[in-house]
Formats: sequence, C-alpha cells, structure tokens
Amino acid sequence: MSRRAWGASFGLLLAYLAAQWAFFAARGLRPDSFLVYGLERGDWGPVLGFLLSAALLGVLLRGRLGGTDAGRLVFWAAALLELGAYTWGLGIELAGRVQPRPAFGAVFVPGGWRYVLAGYAAAVLALFVYSWAVIKVGNRLTGRRRSVGPLFGQALTHLFLWTLVVLVYYPVLQVVSASLDPRNNLFSFRKVESSWLLVRAKVLPALDQVSWANYAKLVDGVVIYPWQWGVLALALGLLLMALLLAWLGRRSADERLKVWHGRALFGFAAALFVLVVFLSPDQFTGTGTESKFLLWVRNTLLVSGSSGLLAIALTATAGYAFARFDFPGRYPTLLTFIFIQMFPGFLALVAIYYLLSWLDLLNTFTGLLLAYSGGIISFGSWVYKGYVESLGRSLEEAAYIDGATRWQAFTRIVLPLSAPMFVFIFLLQFVGTYSEFIMANLVLTGVDKWTVGLGLYSFTTGQFSTKWGLFAAASVLGSLPILLIFYGFQQYFVSGYTAGAVKE
Amino acid sequence: MVIAFAAGAATFFALESAAMAAGRPEGVPNWWILVTSVAFFLPVLFLLGRTFPFLTDWYYLLPAIVFLLVFTVYPIVLTVYLAFTDYSGARNGFPDRATETAIAQVEGARIALAADPLTSLGCGETCVGQLLELVGDGHRARFSVVGASGRTLTLDREPAFSPKYAYRVNAYHFIGFKNFVYIFKNASKALWPVFVWNVVFAAFTVLSTALVGLLLGVLLNNKDLKLRNLYRTLLIVSWALPGVITIQMWVALLNKQFGAINRLLGLLGVYPIPWLLDPLWAKVSVLLVNLWLGFPYMMTATLGALSTIPDELYEAAKVDGANAFDALQYITLPLLRVAFVPILLASFAFNFNNFNVIYLLTGGGPATEGQLSTAQATDILISWAYKTAFRSEGQSAYGLGAAISLVIFVLTVGISLVNFRVSGALREEGRR
Amino acid sequence: MKKLWMAALVLLMGMAMAAGQITVWTHFGGPELEFLKDQAQRYEKATGVKVQVVEVPFGDIKQKFILGAPQGEAADLVVTVPHDWVGEMAAAGVLEPVSKYATQDYLSGLMPVAVDAFSYGGKLFGLPMNAESVALIYNKDLVQTPPATWDEFLALAKKYTTGDTFGFLYDLGNPYFNYGWFKAYGAYVFGKNPDGSLNPSDLGLGGEPGYKAGQFIKDLRYEYELIPEGVDYGVADGAFKDGVLAMILNGPWALGDYKKAGLNFGIAPLPAPPGGNAWGPFVGVQGVVVNAYSKNKIAAVNFAKALVNPANQVAFNKAGGRIPVSLGALEQLKDDPVVKGFSTTIAMGDPMPNIPAMGKVWGPWGNALALITQKPDSDVKKIIDDMVAEITKAIKGE
Repeated sequence: MSRRAWGASFGLLLAYLAAQWAFFAARGLRPDSFLVYGLERGDWGPVLGFLLSAALLGVLLRGRLGGTDAGRLVFWAAALLELGAYTWGLGIELAGRVQPRPAFGAVFVPGGWRYVLAGYAAAVLALFVYSWAVIKVGNRLTGRRRSVGPLFGQALTHLFLWTLVVLVYYPVLQVVSASLDPRNNLFSFRKVESSWLLVRAKVLPALDQVSWANYAKLVDGVVIYPWQWGVLALALGLLLMALLLAWLGRRSADERLKVWHGRALFGFAAALFVLVVFLSPDQFTGTGTESKFLLWVRNTLLVSGSSGLLAIALTATAGYAFARFDFPGRYPTLLTFIFIQMFPGFLALVAIYYLLSWLDLLNTFTGLLLAYSGGIISFGSWVYKGYVESLGRSLEEAAYIDGATRWQAFTRIVLPLSAPMFVFIFLLQFVGTYSEFIMANLVLTGVDKWTVGLGLYSFTTGQFSTKWGLFAAASVLGSLPILLIFYGFQQYFVSGYTAGAVKE
Repeated sequence: MVIAFAAGAATFFALESAAMAAGRPEGVPNWWILVTSVAFFLPVLFLLGRTFPFLTDWYYLLPAIVFLLVFTVYPIVLTVYLAFTDYSGARNGFPDRATETAIAQVEGARIALAADPLTSLGCGETCVGQLLELVGDGHRARFSVVGASGRTLTLDREPAFSPKYAYRVNAYHFIGFKNFVYIFKNASKALWPVFVWNVVFAAFTVLSTALVGLLLGVLLNNKDLKLRNLYRTLLIVSWALPGVITIQMWVALLNKQFGAINRLLGLLGVYPIPWLLDPLWAKVSVLLVNLWLGFPYMMTATLGALSTIPDELYEAAKVDGANAFDALQYITLPLLRVAFVPILLASFAFNFNNFNVIYLLTGGGPATEGQLSTAQATDILISWAYKTAFRSEGQSAYGLGAAISLVIFVLTVGISLVNFRVSGALREEGRR
Repeated sequence: MKKLWMAALVLLMGMAMAAGQITVWTHFGGPELEFLKDQAQRYEKATGVKVQVVEVPFGDIKQKFILGAPQGEAADLVVTVPHDWVGEMAAAGVLEPVSKYATQDYLSGLMPVAVDAFSYGGKLFGLPMNAESVALIYNKDLVQTPPATWDEFLALAKKYTTGDTFGFLYDLGNPYFNYGWFKAYGAYVFGKNPDGSLNPSDLGLGGEPGYKAGQFIKDLRYEYELIPEGVDYGVADGAFKDGVLAMILNGPWALGDYKKAGLNFGIAPLPAPPGGNAWGPFVGVQGVVVNAYSKNKIAAVNFAKALVNPANQVAFNKAGGRIPVSLGALEQLKDDPVVKGFSTTIAMGDPMPNIPAMGKVWGPWGNALALITQKPDSDVKKIIDDMVAEITKAIKGE
C-alpha cells in the first residue's frame, strides 16, 4: 500500500476519534462508557452516534483501502480499540457498583485470586516439566525426535477442560446437595465448623445432615400394584438387554443382533407405554401436593410423547411435498409456514383458551398436546424438507420406473430412510414440551393433571412458601428421563441440527 | 370445481349446524365436530382427488395446514382483533356482579327496578345504550337498554322468561389504534429501552455462545485428544437439563449476600457483586447464565459441522507444508462459516424471544427508574407483553398485550427478512 | 351407526355427570387440605351431594376463575380467596353476591372488619373464614420481652446484627409487609367517600407521609444497616428457621414451619417508627366465594355455610393455625397465644382495599420500594412522586 493511503487512513481514524470525543464531551458524558448510558439510563443518543460514526468509518475505510491486507488491519485495529475502550468503561462502571463490604457470613480472603493464579501457574509449570520429561525419556529410548509442543498442548487442554467441567457442574452439585438437605432451606445460615476452607466458606455444601426425607416425600403414599412392578422389571430388563445388544453389535457385524436390539427397544417402549397409561391418580394417596410427583412424570411422558408422535405425523407429508413436488403455490405456502411461526404464539394464550373451551378440551391432555402441536409444524416441515432433499431422487425414480405411485414411493422408500430425522423431530418436540409450564398452567387445572414443569415451577412460586429441598429432589428425579434421552440419542441431535443447516 | 367444493362444504356445515340447533345431546363434547368433519371430508377428498388429480399435491400438506389454521392462525387472528379493543380483566364482556339489582316488575319489554338504576347499576350519566344481563329461573340473556325513565327501563325486546335480577355488562369496545398510540406515546418508558436491550441480549448471547462453542468444538475435534468423548458428554449437561430447574438454581447461586457465587468470589478477595439487584449487573447476569445454558448447543453444532469436513483436505494441506494454524485459518473456519451462518441466525431468532431465561432469572427486574412497572431493566419484548397481559403488574390488559405481540411480530419478521437476505437462506428457493 | 356411537358416548358422559355434584377449588395443603376433604365427606354423607376437591395453586386461582367461570370450566366454590381480589372478580362477573343467603344473625357473629372486607358495592361477595396480618415474630431464645419502643427495638436488632446472626429481617421490597410503616407516617392507599366506600381517585401514598415512610424503609437498609441487600422473603424465613434471626415480620402462615423447626417464638406488634404514630399492618381476610355461573348454587352455598360455622373455624384453627373471624370461635380460642398475638395486630391494622383499582397499585408500589432500597443515594421523593403519577394514570385509564 502506498504511503499516501496509509497517511490518509490514519488521518481518517484520528479525525473520527476526535469527532467522537467531542460529541460525547458536548453531551457531558464520559466518552468511554456509552454502553452504560444506553443500557442503564436509556440515553441511546450516544450509542446511535457511535454506531453511525463507526459505520461511516467502515464505509470510508473500505472504499479507500478495501481489499488490501493493511486496510483490513487498520479497520480491525480501530474496531478493537473502540470496543476495548468501551468494555473498559463498562468494567469501571460495573466495579463502581460493588460496595466494598464482605458478604454476611462469608469467608473473605483479601487478594485470594493471587493464590489461585499462583496455583494455576504451578500446575502449568508442572505439566510442562512432565511433558518435557516424558518426551525426552521417550526420545532417548526410541531414538525418535519428537518435540514437547503437542504433548504440552494436550496437557494444557485437559487442564482447561477440567476447569470448565467443574464450573459447568457447580450448579448441578448445588441442586443435588440441596435435595439431600431436609431443612428445605435455600441458604444455610448456621456457622459451619470444618477444617476445609471451601466448606467453611459455604462454597461447598456441608453434608452434615444428609437425608432422603425430600425424596421420601415425593413418593409418600404411592401405591404401586404388583403387576406394575412386574411390568417395570420387564421394561428395565428389556432396556438392559437393548444396551447389551448395542454393545455387542458394535463388536460384531451380525445383522441378527441389530434386529434383536430393535425389538428389545420396541419392547421397552411398549412396556413403558403400558406403565404410563395405566398409572391412575387413585394410586396416589399421600396428603402433600408433592406426593403426586410420579403422577406428574407420567402425565408429562404421556403429553410430550404423544405430542412428539403427532409432530411426526403432521410434518412428514408436508416436508416431503415441499421437497419433491412442484405445484403452483408451493413456494408462497412455504413462506407462509415460516412467517406464521414468527408470531409469538404463546401470547395468544387467551385465544387458545377460548378455542379449547369451545372444543370442550380444556383440562384434558388432548387439548394440551393439540395446543403444543402448532409450535413444531413449520420448523419440523422445514427440517424434514431439507433432509428429503439431501436423500437424492434416484431411488424414487427407480421405483417410478417399476410402476410405483407417488404415495407408494413416499411410504415405501422415503419413510423408511427417514427414521433418524423422525427421531430428531420427536426428540425436539419431546424436549421442548417436557418442562413447559405456561401453556400447561393455562390448560390444566388441579394437581392431579399437572406436568413436571408445572410442579417444579409451583414449588418455588407458592405464596410465602418456597420448598427448596423438594424442588431440588424433584429436579433431580424429573431431569433423569430427559438426561437419559439426551445421552441415549445424542447423535440424532447432532445430525439433526446439522442436516438442516449443512447442505451441499 | 371450487364452486362445487364450496357448495359441498356449505351443505355440510348447514347440516352440522342444523343438527346442533336441533338439540345437541347433552354430554356430546364439541370436539365431535372435528371428528365428524374428518369423517365427512375424507371420502369427499378422495372423490375430488380422483376427478382433479392436480389437487392431490395439496393433500400432503393438508394435515399440517389444518392444524396450523386451527391452532396457530385462528389464535393469531383473535389476538390481532383483541389488539384493537380495550379487552381487559375489568372489561371482559361479562356482567359486573356488584351491580346486582332486583327487578320489581316486568311489563313486556319494560322492567321496573327495585333501586335507582343510575347508582345501583352504575350506569353513570344514563343507562340508555348499556348492555344488561337479566337472570331468573335458571335462564340468562342479554338485552340492551333503549329507553329509561326513573326506575323503569325499556329493553330492545321482551324477555322470554321472568327475570329476577339485572346486571350491567362490562362491555369491551373496538378502540382502533389506541393501544398502539399508548405503546408509542410511552415508548421512552418501555418500547425503546426494551427493544434495544432485546437486540443486545440476543446478539451478545449468539456471539458469546458461538465463540465458546467454536473454541470447544475445535479443541474437541482434535482426534489425538484423549477422553474427548467424555468431555463432550460431560459438557452437554447444561443444555440437557430443563431450564425451569437450572435457571431457578442460578437465582439462588447469584444472591448477593448468601449466594454461593459471591462466597466463592469472597475467597478470591472480590467484594459481593449485586448480581440480580443492580440494573446493569442484572444484564450481565442474564448474559452469563444464558452463555452457560447455550454454549453446549453451539459446541455440538460445531462438532457436527466439523465432522462433515473431509480429512483429505487436511492431509492435502499437510503435504503442501501447512501447519495446524494455517489449516484452521484456511480450511476449518471458511468451511465452518457456511454451516454456521444459518445456525447463528436461528439462534438469534430463538434468543430474541427467549422468555424463560428472563422470566425465571430476574422476572424482568430489577426496578429501573422512569420505566413502566411492566418493563424493567432486563425485560425483553415478550416478557413485557406477558407481564402486561397476564401478571398483576399489567392488570390483565389483554388488549394492550395483544398489541405488543403484534409489534413483536412485525419486528421479528423485519429482522428475519434482513437475516434471510444476508444469509440467502431462502434464495435458492426462489430459483425454482 | 353414527347414532349408535353418539348414544354410547352420551351414556358415558351421563354417568360422569351424575346429578348433585359440586367442585371446590382450594389452595390448602397438608392438614388444612385434610380438614377440607373431611368436611366434604361429611357434607356428602349428610346431603348426598358429591363434593370434588381440586387443588389449585394460590397464584393461579384468580386468573383461572375469571377466564373459566363463564365457560363453565371453573369450580362452584373457591376455598378460599383473599378479600382484595373481590372487587376485580365481582366486576369480571364471576362472583355470586351472597347477601341474599346471609342472615343478620350470621353477619353479627363475625368480626366487623371481615364483613367490610368482603363487601363490595354494598353487597357481600363471600363468606369470611379467617383473617391474617403480619406481626413481629421473635425468637424467645434470643429476645425475652418484645421491644415496646423504637429505641429498644433498634438496640436489640443491632445487638444481633453480626456477621453470623441477624436482628431483624423481612421482605423489604414487598408493599404488603411495608404498609405498617406507611400507616404509621399517616399515609393511606385510598380515601373514603362519605358513604364509607373507597374512593379510587383519592390516593394517599404520596406527599409528605409517603416520603417519610419511604425514607424510613431506606434507612432500615442503609442507615440502621439491619436488612442487607439480597434479603427476600425466602432468606428472612430461612434465617428464622435456622435460629440465627432474632425478629422477623411475618404472618400466621409461616408458624407451622417454625413449630416444625422446634423454635420457641412469641408474637407482638411492631413499635411505632421514629417520628411516627402507631404501626398497623394490612389485614387480609380469606373467605369462601361462590361461582356466579354455578349450576348448583344452593348446594354450593350450603357447603360454604357449613365450612365457615364457628365450630369448624375452631377446628380449622387447630388444623392449620389460622385466625378465625367468627367472634364465637375467637372466644373459644382466647387462650391460644398465637390467636391472641395476631388478634392484637389485626385490631391495629386496616383491611386491604378490595376495589379493582387496588390491582393497579401493587405493581408500581413494589417497584418504588425496590428502587428506594436499591442504592444508598436513591431519590426517595422523586421515586414516590413517579409512583403516584403512574398509579393515578393507570386508574384513570390513560
């Protein structure tokens, strides 16, 4: 780039910064904290000014230096400088809102972060020494000449990932420990005597009063008939068998194993279905609201499961038609599908209430799952359309040559190939409705009809009575099904989300 | 054909309503209309498809379209209608029971009340034009008042039963654009700050989750890394757990005096941070919690997208003498961009209306000076609308809430149009 | 064929809808729910009318009832609603006026404040069952005699406000708990018309009394340093249960948990704040209401009457500890320290306004309290003025 272009671009940058400074100063604001003014005081003038001037700068620089490496460099440097300055300003403002007084009952270690930093530095050093030693010894023994870099990098990656895992799991740990605390308290106020600093500081829960009382309350007075125990045992057995077969199937190529794996899974689903359908409210004789917890799980499985199946039924033909047919009105219909979905549907609560009331479906699971079905149609059709397009037409064309009708081509060729996508759509709707509580609250009345999401929400929002221990215990139990599903079908989530997005 | 179809449908509904009028047997629920409709239309559709084969293309769309019409379009239409009315908890079209007035005498269409209607029925200036509900002998019906003199009111028609009590109906009215005028008149107290924060919230969430997800995805895609499947499985947990659980747990963790986060920070020598109490810090908290909730999705998406990049590309690059950083810069990132743009846009659209995280974490709070009590520091448009229509702060102002929903709809469509233009998500469709 | 199906369906439905059934919604739980179910069974045995009890969370009842009643989707009775919902629910058309079912004898046997509370527009809209208000609950292990003056109170509270124990905590941002201070400084919510009804255009929360109360509430946090940030209802309640809190402002609903925690507690009114008159809380009365669209009103009213008779009010107090509103029941329970303690504070307080306009007050009021206590340099006058402006505008319907 020529010297003149450099000069011009820096001149522009300086002029821009000066103008901006003047603009802020004229408004009596601190130039580096425009974000604060916008976010906190609703004074968006400076923000708009900043965005406008930044856009102007971008246009100018692009026009002048567009395409050259140096131009890009200047542009990004300017942008980063700006952003850094404002982040700094925001940080100062945020820090100014913290009162310098330790929290009640907390252990305060002045400058404690230095110890942590030093600890990390020591860990990094130790990892380096370890990698260095391993590589050197290995080189000496094998005579190869590997460098320390990759091993050290891996060690650092592990350190980073484990730190992250601890951070991510911290709230989970809190939920689990709260579920074992019978005092039903959100916070612990008593002084804790312990030789562990983290326990004394109440960062880690002091498990001095571990009890299963909260869990016991959730199943209090539940009567389960012997045949239900039998079906449950059968279901668990089938699940174990399916897992075993899946594990075996990975090692051998025997087709029969796969078939039996499928059958076992199907049997498990059927047994579960029987359990869910034939569990009745009469079996819950406990006095507390919370003793209906298993009933809520059953209701949720029923509603979310049916809702997932309904989603498949509604989206399959539509997605196929969008992908394969070419009829007048196809594209506008697709657009309508997509744009209708942008209406914030759950704000139409009153309308849905009157609709269900007119259909006499209020306070029924049918009504609730019909109300849920509206939400998935557009997205489901869209995703399935993308999937069918990625399948390629050759198989269907071969079938047409053999004299198949379009419906036959769809049911015999496309449908069997679509299983992964159907699993994805089912899971999407299942997971999406599992902990929903706003619509469920509107449609369902009475604790016998509640779903898990509604029950969990009610534990913490009761008037003057938050039951944290019960909430935590119910959370642990209530999230088990969804965790199992998530981990069992992980690959479907991954492939489903990417199939919609990644296309050749 | 269309005429024939319309005629057929008209006959069907005429029959159906005639059957209803003739006396629906007690206990037959209304959803039977749906069942009988299906029973009637299936053969009709079959015959029509025989006669006009081009129609069969649409049959594939029929289930989806019918459900969309009934459970999405119809509620939307009703909501749009409500947006132009003053429908609310206090004006819901039902009689005000505090206006119960005994009826002393009935003569044809004239009724004499036992008390002065102006105060007893709460008519205000005059009772003429008001809607009354009359009740008696297990019947109830509505009449409008066409004349009034003293305690005697003249109704628009003669009651078919002998009424005992009269109530004034709290009617709601069509008020044109008044709700929208209200929204824009108070824009500086609600709409603007809420909208701008909504955009900042969605954009920052997408950026932060995408950056963290990308970093983790690239790290975990390294095939030499031991335990990579374990890490992936472990880190997915915040996405897998239901938000109604985790978000409420964060509320407890972020308490200023007693929350575990501030106790941990105390050990590091940091003074307690007013996470959910200060308007600015609450925004930071919302963004951090949403990052915790959202990064596993981006990580999974990155891994999925990376798995579609063939290994040969990297091997070829290695042969050409490129190092790992070059491979990242010239192969991984450019190819990821193609896959990532739609994911980012979808994530933006989702987070733009991410009601749960706001409602459960802060409830829209903390309070901010100079804003409506329904639109506080961390309220986004959808939580503002929800609080206006369904929570006590908003006084069940369904009409106003519906109007806000319409504004949200327009904004969402606008943003999506820009997104589609930028990403070209729909462009290849137009080509056909 | 279709007819056959219909006939079968009718038969099925008909069996479900046996004549003489009423549905009751309740937010009771535990022993109180047991009490209600027991009463339902007795009533069924006596009259043959089947009573179905459905548990609905407290916070959902109002909206569900207003939406559902005209559609025939709501219960015939609700046990119980707080009286401050009465105006709104009556205006929405869902409450049956019960004046015509109530005898003079019955009315004169109730605390007058309870009858007032359920009267709206000159008509009675529910049968009062129990009353409640907040009061100072103190831990007798820490506080031997309740403080009678503000100075005693402050000294005591400060003594226990250390890093690990607390002197006095309550939900500082909640208007319901704070009304007592407003009243002490001369503020009120709505003024009264000459005929005794409430006048929604006379709002008394602002002006000098409002400023003083606001300043005092702010001082509780920043001047006296009693109630730190982050304390909400759950924190205060939990600290008291853990035995590290000396005094809490709370109501009778919490006592069950305190007994379970094995605490030795006493109940007293709060002292007058500095420069103010006597403290006096909001009084809430809960009662049984009847659905105006009920198909079985007579049975519903009869069950409601059975529920609220003096003998049952005593039994209900034994079940859950709530304070009865029947004078006869109060007389029977006069030796109960809890009933005695709360009757004192109830007598000092004002009933919450029950007109629909009250719904427009809570939101801005709570907001103003949150703003006042958010930071040490908050501008109390401006916040109170803004609050009054927002409420006034909302009531006028602008």
